[in-house]
Amino acid sequence: MKQLILTAALAAVLHITPAVVLVKRPDAVQALLPGADAYLAREVHLSNLDAQRLHQVVDWSPEDGVLTLYTGKAGATAVGALEFVRVDTPHGPIEVAVGFTPQGTVRGVIVTKATVEMKPWVLEAVAAGLTNHYRELKPGEVPRGAAALAGHTGSLAEYIAGEVDKGVARALAAYGTFYRTAKT
Amino acid sequence: MSYDLRRADARIKWLVTCLLATLGLSYVFGALMVSLYAGFTPERVAATYAGPEMTMPMPPETTMVVTRPMSMTDFARPETHAVDTNLLIQDTHVHVPMYGVIAAALALVVAGLSLQRAWALGLITVLFAAPWLDFAGMWLTKFASPHFAIATLVGGWAMGAGYTVVTALAVKQMWFPTKGVDR
Repeated sequence: MKQLILTAALAAVLHITPAVVLVKRPDAVQALLPGADAYLAREVHLSNLDAQRLHQVVDWSPEDGVLTLYTGKAGATAVGALEFVRVDTPHGPIEVAVGFTPQGTVRGVIVTKATVEMKPWVLEAVAAGLTNHYRELKPGEVPRGAAALAGHTGSLAEYIAGEVDKGVARALAAYGTFYRTAKT
Repeated sequence: MSYDLRRADARIKWLVTCLLATLGLSYVFGALMVSLYAGFTPERVAATYAGPEMTMPMPPETTMVVTRPMSMTDFARPETHAVDTNLLIQDTHVHVPMYGVIAAALALVVAGLSLQRAWALGLITVLFAAPWLDFAGMWLTKFASPHFAIATLVGGWAMGAGYTVVTALAVKQMWFPTKGVDR
């Protein structure tokens, strides 16, 4: 709660710049679910208990208590799953797309939205190889993109890498907890 | 009344013209921003302000999964920009004082125009009432009924109309006076 109030206060003081699309959603879908020709949206409406469970793990609850996971198929073959996760920062929101292979490991991560202010930080972090550090992560593992960039980029790129880490951690927790159980 | 923009010094006329041009520019970008984030139809305004708070069901007792097919067009569909209560409080806090200052500036221009008293009073009332209606519509849409989105639209158009009328009258009376009036 304290963090929420601090974030809100900071957001009110710092003028949040407009959001910009870095990668369009359809492009992110094609990149993270390659070859898929049919898609399903799987909306997981969380009970209070499950929402609390998720909150305890990653200090986050999805908007309206609904997690949306997208799955892709090429013919009858599963290509994987995908989540778009929003991370609110004092500088505005970013959106991270996290794709999973059918085996349940991270296939790729794309930052799809940021604000005008954060865009150069995101671009610097991505150019420094941030998203490579998430590949093959499994639910239960901790994303360490910011730590991997430490000393190799500017402090703002490292900061934004920490925010992307949060998005990936949320996607991993949501996928590991609710996708696997929901599909059985 | 001694305050008459038709007979004002050219410097004052220029000041008023620059003020109106600046406000006009900000209104154009305001309209563009509205088209990006809220839209100009009652449905889109209602979706922006009523949001999930109007229709959000209680969380289910056990977690439920609903699946639906998606096409690439669905992924490309623009998301609805939702304004929640906290953001609406912030928006109201920031915008209403600024709209008051803009309405006051335009009302000062109205006071310097050659208009019948009733018309001037009516125009000043519109200038202040329009932003009130705009924001009242947003709050009522959120907490009373999505049908109040129309109030926001009427308020927004009234702001634009008020500005247009004041600007047209001011420019005409200051720079294109009718015969018999000194420049």
